[in-house]
Parts: sequence; structure tokens; C-alpha cells
Amino acid sequence: MEKVLFKYVEEPQQYLIDNYIKNGGYQALPKVLKDFTPDELIEEVKKSGVRGRGGAGFPAGLKWSFVPKTDVKPKYLCCNADESEPGTCKDRVLMECDPHMVIEGCIIAAFAIQAHHAFIYIRGEFAYPAFRMEEAVNEAYGKGYLGKNILGSGFDLDMIVHTGGGAYICGEETALLSSLEGDRGMSRIRPPFPAIEGLYSCPTVVNNVETLASIPHIINRGVDWYRTYGTEKSAGSKIFSLSGNVNRPGNYEVELGTPLSYVINELGGGIQTGHKLKAIIPGGSSTPLLMPDQIDTPLDYEAVAEAGSMLGSGAIIVIDERACMVWVAMKLINFYQHESCGKCTPCREGTLWLKRLINRIEHGEGKKGDIELILDICENIMGRTICPLGDAAVMPTESIIKHFRDEFEYHIEHKKCKVKTDYAFE
Amino acid sequence: MSDNGKEQITLTIDGREVTVDKGTTVLEAARSIGIDIPYFCWHPKLDSVGACRMCLVAIEKFPKPVVSCATDVMPGMVVRTDTDEIVKARRGVLEFLLLNHPLDCPTCDKGGECDLQDNVFSNGIDTSRQTFLRNRVIDEETKTTFDDKRIGPEIIRNMNRCVTCFKCVRFNKEIAGEFDLGVYQRGSSTVIDTPPGEPIDNLYSGNVVEICPVGALTNTDWRYKVRVWKTKQADSISSYDADGQNIKLYYDHRLIHRAMSRPNDDVDEGWICNIARYGYQYINSLDRITKPLIKKEGQQVEATWDEAIKLIAKRFKEIKDKKGSVCIAGLTGGNLSTETNYLFNKFFRHNLHSNSVDYRLENIDLKDGVETAAYNCLSAAPFKIADLEKADTILIFASNFIKDHPIVNLRLRKAHRKNGARVYTANPVVTKSADISVDELIYQPDTEAAFLIALIHAVIDHKLYKNIDESKAAEIKTVLKPASLSEAAGICGIDEARITELARALAAGENLYILAGEYLKASQHRHTIANGLFNLANLLGVDDDKAAILATHANSIGADRVGLRPNLSASLAETLASKWEAELPDSSGCSTSQIFKGALGEEIDSIFIMGANPAMRYPDGPFVNAALDKLDFLVVADLFETATTAKADVVLPLAGWSEQSGSYVNLEGRYQPFSKALPSKQGVKTGIEIIRSLAEAMEAPLGLDDKTLETETKEVVDSWKREPRAVDTFYDVKQSGVIDHGDFPYRLLIGNDLHHYGYLSEHCPSLMRFTSDVYLEMSPNLAEKLKIADGDLVRVESSTGKLVLKVRFSEYFEGEVLFIPNNFSSVEVNHLVSREGGGWVKIEKLDDK
Repeated sequence: MEKVLFKYVEEPQQYLIDNYIKNGGYQALPKVLKDFTPDELIEEVKKSGVRGRGGAGFPAGLKWSFVPKTDVKPKYLCCNADESEPGTCKDRVLMECDPHMVIEGCIIAAFAIQAHHAFIYIRGEFAYPAFRMEEAVNEAYGKGYLGKNILGSGFDLDMIVHTGGGAYICGEETALLSSLEGDRGMSRIRPPFPAIEGLYSCPTVVNNVETLASIPHIINRGVDWYRTYGTEKSAGSKIFSLSGNVNRPGNYEVELGTPLSYVINELGGGIQTGHKLKAIIPGGSSTPLLMPDQIDTPLDYEAVAEAGSMLGSGAIIVIDERACMVWVAMKLINFYQHESCGKCTPCREGTLWLKRLINRIEHGEGKKGDIELILDICENIMGRTICPLGDAAVMPTESIIKHFRDEFEYHIEHKKCKVKTDYAFE
Repeated sequence: MSDNGKEQITLTIDGREVTVDKGTTVLEAARSIGIDIPYFCWHPKLDSVGACRMCLVAIEKFPKPVVSCATDVMPGMVVRTDTDEIVKARRGVLEFLLLNHPLDCPTCDKGGECDLQDNVFSNGIDTSRQTFLRNRVIDEETKTTFDDKRIGPEIIRNMNRCVTCFKCVRFNKEIAGEFDLGVYQRGSSTVIDTPPGEPIDNLYSGNVVEICPVGALTNTDWRYKVRVWKTKQADSISSYDADGQNIKLYYDHRLIHRAMSRPNDDVDEGWICNIARYGYQYINSLDRITKPLIKKEGQQVEATWDEAIKLIAKRFKEIKDKKGSVCIAGLTGGNLSTETNYLFNKFFRHNLHSNSVDYRLENIDLKDGVETAAYNCLSAAPFKIADLEKADTILIFASNFIKDHPIVNLRLRKAHRKNGARVYTANPVVTKSADISVDELIYQPDTEAAFLIALIHAVIDHKLYKNIDESKAAEIKTVLKPASLSEAAGICGIDEARITELARALAAGENLYILAGEYLKASQHRHTIANGLFNLANLLGVDDDKAAILATHANSIGADRVGLRPNLSASLAETLASKWEAELPDSSGCSTSQIFKGALGEEIDSIFIMGANPAMRYPDGPFVNAALDKLDFLVVADLFETATTAKADVVLPLAGWSEQSGSYVNLEGRYQPFSKALPSKQGVKTGIEIIRSLAEAMEAPLGLDDKTLETETKEVVDSWKREPRAVDTFYDVKQSGVIDHGDFPYRLLIGNDLHHYGYLSEHCPSLMRFTSDVYLEMSPNLAEKLKIADGDLVRVESSTGKLVLKVRFSEYFEGEVLFIPNNFSSVEVNHLVSREGGGWVKIEKLDDK
């Protein structure tokens, strides 16, 4: 397919506003301001079927339509650029290489919900993307795409680039809002949903970078064009971040519904030479595994769910036979334990317990019954927490044990690894 | 719709139908029908956060269990609290919480009243699958553990026991508006701590210990002293401020061990300030007077009760026979029970035939001792604390609210937080309420009246008044002096535009409150200011209960209601006469200042002071001390030796409030009985016992047993009536221009330290840990001008006296205003204050020598 989001990604200095405009940028915005009412715009985006690219896949237009129109409180738009899911690196490229596309999407979304303040919450470690976004926002102000009375339309919008405090949890929308307010990044209980009571208790829409970047294209080329890509329920294109034991890891934009095997074998150049596929994490480290026999699963929200996993943020991690799955589980739980915000009990205490147990198995100190205990702890965490972090820690753990229980048993019984370990995974 | 106008919702919980108000949570609905859902992080007065996950319930059509504390009821909801899934979830949460819990229950002070113990007990967890070290976090490098750490003057934190419910931090932030306690680190390393180097020492900090569900936060007050099940409890009322905080005293056969809140939604909602919490400690003090003292040849020597009472009776009789009973006066302090005040009053009016009794011992008394109609009307306004939370606009005027009214202050904050009330403050200094104020106006010292006049001008000029016509408004304007907004604004030093803005905001308020406090009452212009306040309330159409001058001491209203003042209303005089079946004396009585003046002029020969310390606290120290020295016979009953007892001919050891039952009437006029927590300390007597034995020694028993005394007092308090504010009355309000104080350029305010109240709190070790000594508070700006550094010693001098004090900078001070607390017996601050002009001083830095 023709690249949409990545069309100019390799263009030198596409991040400069003049180059962006030269390549057809900032054409959707005037069109929106001139031809659309906010309601029509929301309707248009709803019709396009574009879904949230951050992981949950919630229809973007529907999310916008939840913002109460009669509410007298100010409304806010937050662009979620706290890209922290292990394996995911798509937003970073968009912000580094084509920041104005994101900004244009933000302005259009802000117009749709009639917000006059937009925040771009960038992961704290993303120093360069934050710099690029900052520069781009300044350029946009200079050209009158931001500020008072944008392009003479009477619509005002201020945009603030905010760098995060360095916590994975801040990518969760309610924690992001708490963090943006200057509080600890801890998720809040829902309802009320951010669309009703979000930032400073005002209606707020939080959208992923990639979602917002898609909006200008939908406006420019129309809903019908957009829907020619993807499937009925998963429309459009999506960037997949391919990593792990493949020959050509990287970000690839394909239309939704493309088979996983195409991405791994054609785009990624297949499994590293001489090795055999062992498992695939299809949607970021928090999603359950897909097994080699599921490699033809189409990459759309429904099909991946049917296969027992989630499309998530589109980070495909390929694991070959050299990896010890206990080690993989340990790496993952160590990450989630470290990132648990500490607000709710099961996640705070449970991830620590899981970490201790899995580490002990990996290090050959596991005891009989540990696997059952781990599964029971997982059960006590799953669905018991405020935000999905608890689930995110549990899903890969459960899935790895389900598919590779023998490796765990071997570790416990033989006090050593079943898989050859002379290969340095890092 | 129910009676309270709220929509009703019916749902089913565990097969039982329940109907509750819309907006109720599932947890509260279940509690209302006696289904206990376990919880840690929920608190009825805090916003739900759903953090502990203990209160999970299953709701039909919901895909997974939800936290009942944060789920609002919906019509037709079907809730189960007892499914297998829920039981497993609860056990799971408890198992998680116990993973790293030290299980040190035998030495934990929370033992016996611990939510974790209770929940584990009722959910039957008796084994552990945990096989790791039972430490939440040990830093491998520094070998640090989460052991006890003192995080405030009174509070000790032990993170090992913490269940991370965040109640402490949430209370501190939501209710008290303080940020001296926070959450640090994350995940399993989460720590509740204070910002580096800053202790948690706010006025409400004791509450965080009380709401801690486990023993993670304890206070030194209670630590390692007694097991809770070995104590008895007595319902009591705080004996300090006039808010009437409901407390519960825990005591055994020896001592009172602690005070906890006794939630009363009409008054305190279960939050009490540190003064109420730790203020009982003076009862336990070893410094109490336990034997009567009689002055013999200029020396006070120990005597028996019999000797002391006989001596007083004899001397009173002599004075009465020689010069008439009008020469004996009686003064009582602010924390005597209503019953004591009633009996004291009866003893003086009925037995001694003297009308010279008073309870107003701290404010400057005006010439004839009679308060004006406007002042009386506003001081007795039927203000209700609980109604304040529904206010939409509030003006706090002439009151450092957090110090004067710690609990009303929390309602003020609640009105702001829950109802979005717009709060305005007008004070001579910045106050804590600034953080929730739309505008904080700082007027020049002593220009309260000018400020109100300016505000009234603004109301009239912009036609913001209600219920009167233009000609009446013009007429009201003519009785104001200064005669224009600009002139009045100039005197109080506030920009006209801000006053006009305030006037507009107040006029726009639909539920407007105007509350005034100590700065007004302590002012020598208080009647002018009260007139101004009265006019303003009428102009803006403020309801009768919403414009008030709030009372000061625990029982000043009670003393007032039973007539412990020289001038009685006709109806009260009649009530008392009929109760006592006797005519009240027709001689005119003296107010506090007239009593002292009379003493100097030898018209008063004897004063009986009970539970008060005027020598240290009455304005103009030299004057009051001279007056007390001049007396023929001074009797003082008190708990501790004070500047006043030092001058007494007879000192009687008085029992504290908790050593007897009685009642207080709070600033709302709410009659609140309290019960006895401990027998009186050996050797001391209650005020009631003292008065009774004195009356008997004078061969005129008062004839009231405890029961009758209680009923009679209650009847007198209940019979009290007040005319509503006359809405069409307007008084003259005239303020003279700014007085030049010549050599003494700085206004000195004296009052309570944040953690002290009155003169007894210095005998409470816990409160002394917050503030242990007197200081001079000043703004850094003024200090810079005078080249004074924080902690320097300075000489403070007024026309009446001088003192040497240590300087303390305060963020709450702007300009040329100084503050000294009057809670410490180490200095007699009242020596710096004159009766005519308040306190005006000069300061001079002392050389390092």
C-alpha cells in the first residue's frame, strides 16, 4: 500500500514547517476551519472508523463525541506522547521526523471538541522528540496555525509541550492527567471518564500521537479513501514496531489486516538466519503470546483478539528458539514491578511477589508449587486493579507459563535452564 | 423524591432491597442496611480513590468486580458481596497486604483497634504462602529499613505496617489543605513521608494518626502507654476554642491517655485540631496545685481546705458587713462548665447580692461595660457550622480563622472544595485561608471600621443593596464617616477597585456569609465595627444566621446564657429570679474593666477569680496588676500557679473540666454535655464543690444537688431568646482618621499561637513540642528594613512596658504588623498593650553582647 503516515518520514528536514507545507501539510486545517462545524468534524472522524492507536483501540470519533457540548467548563486536548510500552517506538519517529503532522492533527481534534488548550505530554526520556515538537510548535505559532484567531477563523488554541516525569504509568490516560496537573502519576478511578472530568476536572480528550497524526489525512483525502485501507472494523493503516530476532527490525506502516507473517517475513526479512520462531508478542510487552502456528493472523484488532492476544500499540516482538522463556518472563515482570505506581494493593504487592518468585525460578532456586502459586497470584491481580498495569503484568506471565510450562518446571527441577544459554540475548 | 429533595434509588444488595439517595456509593448503601463491606482506604468524609481494592463487590452486568466505595448506586442494580469470586478477591488483597507486614501486633499501639487485624480475622486468613524476607524494602546498599521515623513533633511513622491507603495524605490535602505530608517513591517502595527537612506540624496533623487504619502512624502521646482494651472512654468536649469539638477521652484508673474524635456531623465531622487532641494533657500534669494556699505574712503557705474555705467565708462576711456586698466581684474563665458558671452566678447574685460578675476577661472593655445592640445581636447570631458548607460566597473578616475557629475553618474549606464557594478574607495579616481566597484584602492595622465603611460606600455607590430604596440608601450614606469610598479606602490602605469588586461579589452571592472574629473583638473600636457589620449585613440582605461575630472560649456562650455578666436582659433576670425564688440585687454591677478600676479606686475590695488568669492576659498588664495588688482580699481558684494566683490571699486547687461532668455551649449556642473522665486529682475540688462549701460556710447553702443543678442550668440556657436582627435598622458608623502613634510605629497583635489556646495549653507536653516558647513574629520585609535576622533578640517597647523576645519570620505577615502569642507564662505580653490604643510598639535589635 501507499504510505500514509510514513510517506515523508525519510525526507530530510521534513520537520521544518516549510517542508511540511511543501509536501502538502497544513491543508486539512484550513479546510476544517472553513467547511466543518465541530459536530460535522466529529461525525466525519466517526465515519472514518479510525481507532485509538495507543493500545486500547477505542474509536476516536466516539471518544470526541463524549465531550459534553453544553458544559461551560473549559475543555482540553492531551496528546499522549508518553510512549513507554517496551517494544513500541512508533510515536517517537513521528514526532522526530514529521512533528507538524501531529500538531495539525492536534489542532483539528482541539477544534472538534472546542478546546482552547492542547497539551503534548511527551515521555521524559524523549529529549530529542520533545525538542523537535517544541520547535515545531513555535514554528506553527509563527505561521498563525496556533495562537489567537487561527487563520482568521476566530478559533483560538494554545499548545504546550510537557515532558513527563519518567514513569510508564503516565502513559495511562488518567495517570497522565494527574501527572500533567503536577500530581503524582497515579491512575484515577473511572468513572468519571476524562471526557467528562479529566484535566483539572474539566472535559478532556486524550489521544495517541499516531491517532492524531492520521486525522489530517482523513480530512484531506476523505473518509472513503481512508476506509479503502484496513478491514471493516479496523480501518486505515497502522505503524508496527518490529523488534526481536528478525533480520530487519524497524517501524513499518501497513494497512490493518495485513498478515503477521508478511510483516515478519517480508518486511522484517524473516527470523534471524538459521533460527526458528518460538513465540511472538504481537502488541507490546503487555500482550499475551502468539505461537508460531498463528503467524498468519491478520493484524487487525478483531483477528488478534480472536487469536487470544491484543493488537495493543503494535509492537511486535519476535522471539526465536534461543530465548529461555523463564528469562523472558523475568525480564517482563521486573519491568512491571518497577513501574507499578503503588496505588492499588494487588499490583503493588502482587507484582513484587511475582518478581521474587520468577527471579528465584530463573536463578535455579525455584520450589515445587511455585508455578501454581504464580498462576494463583496472577488470578488475584487480574481485573482487580484500577488501571490496566496490573493486567499488563499478568497477561504475558500467564501466557508464557501456559505455553512454556515445561521450561519453568525444568528450571525448578534441574536448577538450570532447558534452553541453551550461551547466546547473549541483550 | 425523598424529604431532603434528593432523588431516591432502589437497588438490591445480597438479596435485600435498599433505597438510598442518588449519589450514594454501593458501600454506603450496604452499610446502611448493616452489610459490612471491608475496606481500608475508604473514609466517609474523603473522596474515594479505590486504592486498597478490599471493598470489591460483584454487580450483575458488570464484567469484573468493582470497588464499592467508588461506584454510585444505580436503579435496579443487583449487588453481591458474598460470591466465591469476591471472597477470593478479598483474601487475595489481605494476603498481599500481609506479605511484608511485620506482624508485630503484640507491640503495636494499634492492636485491638486495627482494621488489618479485624479484616484478617473476619476473612479467616490463617496461613501464609509468603516465603521471602518479611521486609517491604531494604536498600541493599545503605541497609536501610522502614523502621520508625519521627516525621513530626508528635507523629512517628513505621512504613513496615503501612497498607498504603493514602488516607493520611488525602486528609492532609483535601480537608486541611496542607502539603506537609506526601507520597514518595513508587510501587512497593512507596513511602509516606514529609518533604525533606519539613516536619508534619499543621494544626490538624493529629487526625492522620487517628484515621490510619493500621499502626503505621502513631503519636508519642499514646505510644507504648496502654493497651486500648484496658481503657475506659468518656464522651467529652474540647475545653479550648468555642467550636465545641466533640472528643472522646481514653483513660484508666490513673491517667487520661488520649483524646480521639467523636464524629458529630453538625459540628466537627470527626476532625479535631491538635489543641483538642493533645490539650487534655494538663489534667495529668504533675505541676497542678493540689493543696490550698493561704497568704500569711506575705507568703503563701499550704493549708487545709477547711481553713481556706473558713477564711474566705469570714473575709467575705467582713467586707460585706463593712462596705456592702457590692464590693465583692467574681470573674470566671472561659472553660468552666455552664453548671459552674450558673452556680457561681447564683452565689454572687443570690448569696452575696453582688451583680459584679463577668466572664469577658480578655478583650478591652469599653467605658460603661455595656455592649451595643449591634454587637450583641451579631455575637448571638444563630450561626450553624454545618450550614456553612452550603455557602456560595463567604467573607471572613477580622479573624485569623484557623487560629480562632479551627473547626469552622474546616467547614469553610469544605464549602470551597465541595460547593465552590468564593471565599474573601479581610484581615490585618495574611491568614491560612489565603490559599482558598478569591481575594485576600489586607487593611492597615486598626482600620477595620474604615474598611467596612469603604465597603458600605461601594455597595451604595453601585446600587448593590437589597430590600431598601434609593432615598434610604442615600440616608445611610450620610451617617458614615469618612463620607466617601475613596477616603475610607485611603485610610484602610486598600485599592478602591478591589473594595468595589468585593462589594459586587458579595452582592452577587445567593448564600452569603459574613463572619468576624478576634481582631474585631479585641479592637477598642469594636462597637463602631459591629455597627458597620450590622449595616453591611442589612444592606446586602444577609440572613440573620449568616452574619455573625463568633465566640472565643469553650464556654463563653454558656457563661453568657446563664447571665454571668453585670447587665442582664429583663427576661433572663426574670428567669433567674423565679428559679431562685428571690429578688435579684438592684445594685448596678461592674464589668471586668470596671471591677479592676474599682479595685484601684477602692470601690471593690475583693475579687473571686475562678479558672482565669487576668494578670497575664487582660490587656494593659500594669493596670490589672496594680488593681489586683490593691485588693484587700483576692481569692483565685485555678489548676496551676499563675501570675494571678501569685497575688492571691487564698489559692484554691481547682479541678479540670474532665474531672467532672458538665456542659459547654459552643459558638452556635449548641448545648453539649460532657462526662467525667477521671476522679478529681487528690486534693483538688471542682468549681461546684468550692462554691457549695463556701456557701455552706457562710451559712446560706445554695440548695442545688447535682441533678437539679444540671436541669436548672439546662432550662436557663434553653430559655434564652434572641430578637432576630432588625433588618431595617442602620446605625451610625464613624471612624476617626488614622491616629499617629508617634514613637511606637508598629502595630502589635497578641493572640494564640497556632498550637496553643489560652493559658493552660502550655502544660501539655505534646503541644509544647509544636511551639515551646514565646516569640515575636514579623514579616521578613520589615526585618530587612530594621536589619534584623531570623532568631535575633529584640527589645519590644510600648508606652506601657517592654520585653525582650526572639524574632521569628512569618510568611503570613506583611508590612508593619507584629505578633506575640499570649499563651506562655514566661512573658507577660499584656504589659505591652494599653487599654486605649491596643498595642503599638517600637522594636530595637539587641547587640550580640
